[in-house]
Amino acid sequence: MNQTLFLTSWWVPFYGLIGAILTLPWATGIVRRTGPRPAAYLNLLMTGVAFLHSLFVWKDIWNQEPQILLFTWLKAADLDLSIAVELSPVTMGAAVLIAGLSLLAQVYALGYMEKDWALARFFALIGFFEAALSGLALSDSLFLSYVLLELLTLSTYLLVGFWYAQPLVVTAARDAFLTKRVGDILLLMGVVTLSVMAGSLNFSELNQWAQTAELSPLTATLLGLALIAGPAGKCAQFPLHLWLDEAMEGPNPASVLRNSMVVAGGAYVLFKLQPILVLSPVALDTLVILGTVTAVGASLVSLAQIDIKRALSHSTSAYMGLVFIAVGMEQGGVALVLLFTHAIAKALLFMSAGSVILTTQTQDLTEMGGLWSRMPATTTAYIVGAAGMVTLLPLGSFWAKLQWADGFWNSNPWVIGILFLTNGLTTLNLTRVFRLVFWGEPQPKTRRAPEVGWQMAVPMVSLTVSTLLVPLLLQQWQLLPSWENVNWYAVLVLVLSSVLGLIVGSTIYLHKAWSRSIQLPWRFIQDLLGYDFYVDRLYRLTVVSAVDFMSRLSSWVDRYLVDGFVNLVGIATIISGQGLKYSSFGQSQLNLLTIVFGVSLLGFLISWSFGLLDHWQLFWEAIRGS
Amino acid sequence: MLSALILVPLIGAAIVGFFPKAIAPNSSRNIALICASIPFLLTVVLASQFNPTNINQQFSEFIPWITVIGLNYHLGVDGLSLPLLVLNGLLTCIAIYSSDEDVHRSRFYYSLVLILSAAVSGAFLAQDLLLFFLFYEIELIPLYLLIAIWGGQRRGYAATKFLIYTATSGILLLASFLGLVWLSGASSFALATLDTNALPLATQVILLGGILLAFGIKIPLVPLHTWLPDAHVEASTPISVLLAGVLLKLGTYGLLRFGLGLLPQAWEVLAPALAIWAVVSVLYGASCAIAQTDMKKMVAYSSIGHMGYILLAAAAATPLSILASVLQMVSHGLISALLFLLVGVVYKKTGSRDIETLRGLLNPERGLPLIGSLMVLGVMASAGIPGMVGFISEFLVFRGSFSVFPTETLLSMVGTGLTAVYFLLLINRVFFGRLSPQVIDLPRVHFRDRAPAVVLAVLIVVLGLQPTWLVRWSEPTTTAMSAIPVIAQRTQLVSNQEWLVTSN
Repeated sequence: MNQTLFLTSWWVPFYGLIGAILTLPWATGIVRRTGPRPAAYLNLLMTGVAFLHSLFVWKDIWNQEPQILLFTWLKAADLDLSIAVELSPVTMGAAVLIAGLSLLAQVYALGYMEKDWALARFFALIGFFEAALSGLALSDSLFLSYVLLELLTLSTYLLVGFWYAQPLVVTAARDAFLTKRVGDILLLMGVVTLSVMAGSLNFSELNQWAQTAELSPLTATLLGLALIAGPAGKCAQFPLHLWLDEAMEGPNPASVLRNSMVVAGGAYVLFKLQPILVLSPVALDTLVILGTVTAVGASLVSLAQIDIKRALSHSTSAYMGLVFIAVGMEQGGVALVLLFTHAIAKALLFMSAGSVILTTQTQDLTEMGGLWSRMPATTTAYIVGAAGMVTLLPLGSFWAKLQWADGFWNSNPWVIGILFLTNGLTTLNLTRVFRLVFWGEPQPKTRRAPEVGWQMAVPMVSLTVSTLLVPLLLQQWQLLPSWENVNWYAVLVLVLSSVLGLIVGSTIYLHKAWSRSIQLPWRFIQDLLGYDFYVDRLYRLTVVSAVDFMSRLSSWVDRYLVDGFVNLVGIATIISGQGLKYSSFGQSQLNLLTIVFGVSLLGFLISWSFGLLDHWQLFWEAIRGS
Repeated sequence: MLSALILVPLIGAAIVGFFPKAIAPNSSRNIALICASIPFLLTVVLASQFNPTNINQQFSEFIPWITVIGLNYHLGVDGLSLPLLVLNGLLTCIAIYSSDEDVHRSRFYYSLVLILSAAVSGAFLAQDLLLFFLFYEIELIPLYLLIAIWGGQRRGYAATKFLIYTATSGILLLASFLGLVWLSGASSFALATLDTNALPLATQVILLGGILLAFGIKIPLVPLHTWLPDAHVEASTPISVLLAGVLLKLGTYGLLRFGLGLLPQAWEVLAPALAIWAVVSVLYGASCAIAQTDMKKMVAYSSIGHMGYILLAAAAATPLSILASVLQMVSHGLISALLFLLVGVVYKKTGSRDIETLRGLLNPERGLPLIGSLMVLGVMASAGIPGMVGFISEFLVFRGSFSVFPTETLLSMVGTGLTAVYFLLLINRVFFGRLSPQVIDLPRVHFRDRAPAVVLAVLIVVLGLQPTWLVRWSEPTTTAMSAIPVIAQRTQLVSNQEWLVTSN
């Protein structure tokens, strides 16, 4: 039994896919009589099966060596595209986490999207999404990972564009797709290059190759940068970060998964690529720079957001920035723990935000207040989620960040400063959001705010409990430092940053209407952060207008130069023909002469081009008879 | 058996054409459909009996014809032509099936489509240069008439432009073929016996130049392409499907068969230029497509871009890249056919193809939700999203060409990014958003409108998941093509010199 489960564990991603396919009759409107609910139940069932299956396998292989299953997909000429699947405690654990969170998010969606007419389509997309994600967790082949990243791009596009009738949603979906696509194309360039140079695209063989490869510095740099681009797009890192913010226009249950798992998927691929990135110091430096810029920038930007989802989503970018720094410093291991703790805490925060949005019918922070007494479960979820994100209490992220800080304590003390700043700013922001939403006086939209129904409450509360249990899990996996090994200075720094953030956050003046300041410098900063440092305008001025100009130019060239020339030749032919017809020279002798001349010219040109004229001397001599 | 692929549609054309007028137009459609599906089924049978490991021409048929000038009726099929034959059979059936039921002068229309299909099959089967040329020219006449009679408003202009361009292509082709045969001193036009290696290199290059220009018009490559968008916009939907799906492939097929196959030495000389030409085509086609507001024109320009990948792969001429070019031909045939079909349905139901006026067609109650969903699928396939056949063929193109032309390959990859840009524009404007008031009260979408698109979509996904089913027919043949000594040698040489491999 266990052996069967183990051998079929590569099948785990397919459950989600089957769920998605099973919902198609409802999603396409072939079955209308039953309403869309059965589709949702089918999908839930499949996700549940995936969860149980991966859980059993995970318990089974807990102490075993990683095993790799190899499937041949395509063999052509010198190319061998085998698909490798790695079954190890880490990958199976990730699969369990994905299936579990997906299960919770789907139950949550039953409540959140109760009245949506396209519920079946939503569940089909979520099933697809989950399949691609868990495939990514198990994949041990760069090719498969690339394929799945692209599928995630596609499903993000469709999920963000779920309510496609709204104009903001349409642009958000477009931006999400195109931004990630830029990263994906660059990654594809890297994949093709690697495939030619290394021969195989399976991570284990790539790692072997990377140990002996001797690349020119330029090649190594370009390759490294190309490989970084894909994860940077997925993890919403500067300069490919704007989509995540805009993607908050999509349905919230999808945001739960996106902010916790999809970004982690990108970071996981980056972690897997670390041995190859090491070949290029420039690439590693780029990782650190991108991570630093994003971590600090996104934390700052989040402070000025007044949309509850956007205020939370920027911190996702910031945390992924920390992961980027870790990989850039060749400390990928500590990144994985942070990914795990962040995923759970962030999912919980988003569930809580979703409850607030559904109950108050608004996402605007300035219209909320005083929800703590009305929505206790949601408030608890928010507090626990926030605590799990920062380093005040010994919950998940505390230990992950401690490990992170400990890793760099001696080698690169300056990155501790970045962690200090990011963590402090995140605490500040979470406190600010808490005060605006749950604390203070109720406003018109929050006055009558009942707690959400069980479909949303049950997953939320279960996740709250799980977040509280994360430290126990970490201890179980021996990821916690023993008492004597704790770096107390690091603990002090981390707690200090959180306390500072908390103090500033709770004392800062928050006007209910969050009116714009009348003092110019303050207002400038507020706008600068509120509009994401105007990066979108920068894009519009550079990349977008460049592509636009290119397309207009080539279209103009096509219409007036290329086609214009063709039409000109046509008109000239017609006119000259007409002209000849009426000319007084229309005598047959002259026409004959023209034809003879034309044909001789043509004949001359042809013989010349074939090199026949090289023998013209012989010809000439033959004529002269000498 | 091979002759049947040509004769059955021709007989069908005769039956349909001389059918008593009194019988309803529907029956001529049904007869045409039967006459088109017989060759399609035959190609499937052919594929099942085909021996992929044999790299020679199979099922050969030889009838001496005009032996004085060395023209013989010689047919054969190999891994290069087989997928294209099947594609031709399938798309002909789809084109006839998706033709308007009330098309005027239906008997003439259907017989022309059948003649077209027969000529295309003949061209793919011909093992004789002159025979190929004959079929290549015969195919012009029905296509010209199909555009000129059943086209849109500017059909006269478009049809004439098409005719002049393609006739020029024919003349160039004939000149090059005659030059090939006479200069090499061959006694007949038979493909198999032609040996050009004795010719001086300069002559070879000039001959190849003629062939390149001839097929460059057909493919079409920038700047020889302007006939294509006009022809597509004016042609009716089924004709666009055939034009994009099969007829353009005559150009790339000819390039591989007669350019690379007959003049490998000259090919080696011109390959770097060809690769650059391919990149120009890819990027130019894609950036022109971004600026289009007519959906059909956008798809047409996208076609130009995607045909550029085939040229890139052909120029590289590694075993993998030639295989990839065959794959890309099939995948482009399926995907562009799907896109043209769907644009056709949208046009039929809304009366517009304008991206600026159409909005929100995904609306589940009053829009075209299924057509919209299929459009999303087709567009994503064209943009190279994995899971569909467009991805794997483009991946193989890039992977195969990279070792020879790294820079050019990387530049063409930008083209796939641009594809996403313009197709997303299309989806976002036409299918997303609120349903525009101009297109309320759309007529019902019938099963007939959907079925062909669904068939193509299924094929695109299935072949995307299992490309082996496509690859195994062609691989031995394409590997043999790249094993021409000159090419094989060059591939090794170049990959040793490139900037990407070890320095120090």
